[in-house]
Amino acid sequence: MVSPVISLRDVTKSYGQGSARTPVLRGVSLDIAPGELVALVGQSGSGKSTLLNIVGGLDKADSGEIKVLDHDYGKTAERELARLRNTSIGFVFQAFNLLDHLTCLGNVILPAAFAAGGKDAPARGREALDRVGLSAYADRRPSELSGGQKQRVAIARALFGRPKLLLCDEPTGNLDSATGHEVIEFFQKINKDDGVTLVIVTHERRVSNIAQRVVAMRDGNIVEGAGTDVHTAGTGDDLGGPA
Amino acid sequence: MMPSGKLARMVVANATRSPKHFVLSAFGIVIGIAAFVFFLAGTLGVSDVLLGKVFPLDQVEVIAPHTSIAGKNLSQKMNADTVAKIKARPEVKDALPRMTLQFPATGYGKFEGQEINFEVGGFTDGIPDAHVAGDPKLEPVFKDWEPDGKATGPACVPKTPNNCPDKAWQYCDASDNMCHHRVPVIISPTVLELYNTQVADSHGLPHIGVMEQFIAERGRDRMHFWMGLGSTMMAGSNVSIDAAKHREVGAILVGVSDKARRVGLTIPIGYVERWNRSFVGDKAASEYSSIIVTLRNKDKLATFSQWLQDEPKLKLEDQLGASFATAMFVITFVLLGIAFVIVIISAINIAHNFFMQVTERRREIGVLRAIGATRADVMAIIVGESAIIGVVSGTLGSLFAWLASLGVDWALEHVAPKFPFKPDSLFNFEWWIFASAIGLSILFCVLGGLLPALRASRLEPAAALAQN
Repeated sequence: MVSPVISLRDVTKSYGQGSARTPVLRGVSLDIAPGELVALVGQSGSGKSTLLNIVGGLDKADSGEIKVLDHDYGKTAERELARLRNTSIGFVFQAFNLLDHLTCLGNVILPAAFAAGGKDAPARGREALDRVGLSAYADRRPSELSGGQKQRVAIARALFGRPKLLLCDEPTGNLDSATGHEVIEFFQKINKDDGVTLVIVTHERRVSNIAQRVVAMRDGNIVEGAGTDVHTAGTGDDLGGPA
Repeated sequence: MMPSGKLARMVVANATRSPKHFVLSAFGIVIGIAAFVFFLAGTLGVSDVLLGKVFPLDQVEVIAPHTSIAGKNLSQKMNADTVAKIKARPEVKDALPRMTLQFPATGYGKFEGQEINFEVGGFTDGIPDAHVAGDPKLEPVFKDWEPDGKATGPACVPKTPNNCPDKAWQYCDASDNMCHHRVPVIISPTVLELYNTQVADSHGLPHIGVMEQFIAERGRDRMHFWMGLGSTMMAGSNVSIDAAKHREVGAILVGVSDKARRVGLTIPIGYVERWNRSFVGDKAASEYSSIIVTLRNKDKLATFSQWLQDEPKLKLEDQLGASFATAMFVITFVLLGIAFVIVIISAINIAHNFFMQVTERRREIGVLRAIGATRADVMAIIVGESAIIGVVSGTLGSLFAWLASLGVDWALEHVAPKFPFKPDSLFNFEWWIFASAIGLSILFCVLGGLLPALRASRLEPAAALAQN
């Protein structure tokens, strides 16, 4: 039996209070196996980003079970969750979220600031930049880069800790078509070469096309591709194929 | 929790990345700390002069309260028993009696070619030799050289040029035509200061810096003068002393000591006892005019004063020192209060600046949380940034205060007129003033940064990252 990288059971989340309370996730259950490349699709407000944030430990669910990389979030301390994000989970955001006062290399190796050791961080950072084809930009500031270059620096930062899970929230949303295509190809490459599990929130058909499974959400529910049967069935044979 | 070295590097980088913000946050604290250091070092320096030189508080003078009825002096007198009683007090380190010359006497002689006359009776105290023990310059010379009153030298002829063997230290006494040792006299720093600032210039006399140096340069015979026991310069004196008793004794000024009476002359007590007995009577030779009490430390003054209040026969000679100490305490308190208000307002300003910063840096904080920062890390980063402001502000404030003190001291030296006990510097920059200034600066900056740091640490990463 292959244990899923992500296992969600009846996860709910609402924002606001009282009469203004708006449910965003209405009992979501989802399993994602190691090495899967999953596209999370749906209309705006369907709960995709919230689900991604909850999986990454950036937001808290109101109820339900969340298990990521063998960590039961209900029983995991805040410090341990931070360590998990530091070492095993990478994030790529639509807005890049690079810090302008740091160089590209400084941004890439920023996670090393929150871990012990790491004398080799600059070398590893350059290696990560090299992977995204930006080794020549190590000492530049993000403000000097194009959108596509910024996103590639953000990806290098996400890959710096050699994560097992990469969570991407609309990574091509701010990129032109050609650059977006390059980024998508890169995701496909690291999924294939490194076996990194990818969950990509997207509106784009192109991303859906390369995903092994497409999970569709509507009004806080998964309406397609939940894949929870693989967890309960206990066989890994059903995993991995496109939805 | 992130490693301390990495935290320090990140904090320094963050604190210095926006000079404008840094200056805005630090400005008030720098002013407040500069005021704190300036006022504290200033009041400490002034206190050192006032309470260390002018009114030494660890040394007080006890007297018997003066009472009189119908013009008759009924004051209680102090004697050896009183000294023993005071010495028995736990807060007292030492008690040494003083005896005032209780009959008319004059001083006269030549100093730098000028005839000088002054009244000595009532202005001369006798103190035990032990009072100057520990002063290597005075200990060998300030003593009762003739405890039995008999001459120590050979016979001589008075009223002629000094024909005693040791002309520096001996004189020919006309009462027995014998060479006697000159009576050693000391004066207080107050007398020397009054001479230098009030007398020397107006009478065309030289200034005396270090007395021993002056004596070495000009010769010890310049310090000779005569004391006319039984005679007076004061018109209308009711005391009439038999002319046969009148006597001229040679004296020599041997040095300056804070053990000497503040205004007047001081000689070994043995001389005063013998002369009082001879000119006034036995009673006058056993009654002390005051007792100089050395306390174990300045803080014991209150306890000792309280004990004296319960002793109807004794009281402190003057409480001017204590009054100055109280005044200085109040002034210090008020000035430091002003400095504290500035620092507190600055801390509030820092809090305001950091609240704004936390709002501006929400996305950055979200990113840090996303890549592995804990709540504690975020808090440590913000608090660390405020602490850096504290370190820099404390150092700069101390530096500015020191520079300002140099300016004030320059003005004191070049602009302010001479006055008694004019110090070289009005400031006393003890190391602990700088240490507490920097500590205080860090404390208030950290206090200012604490609430914003708490708010930053409580930001949910997802919400922080969602900021547009």
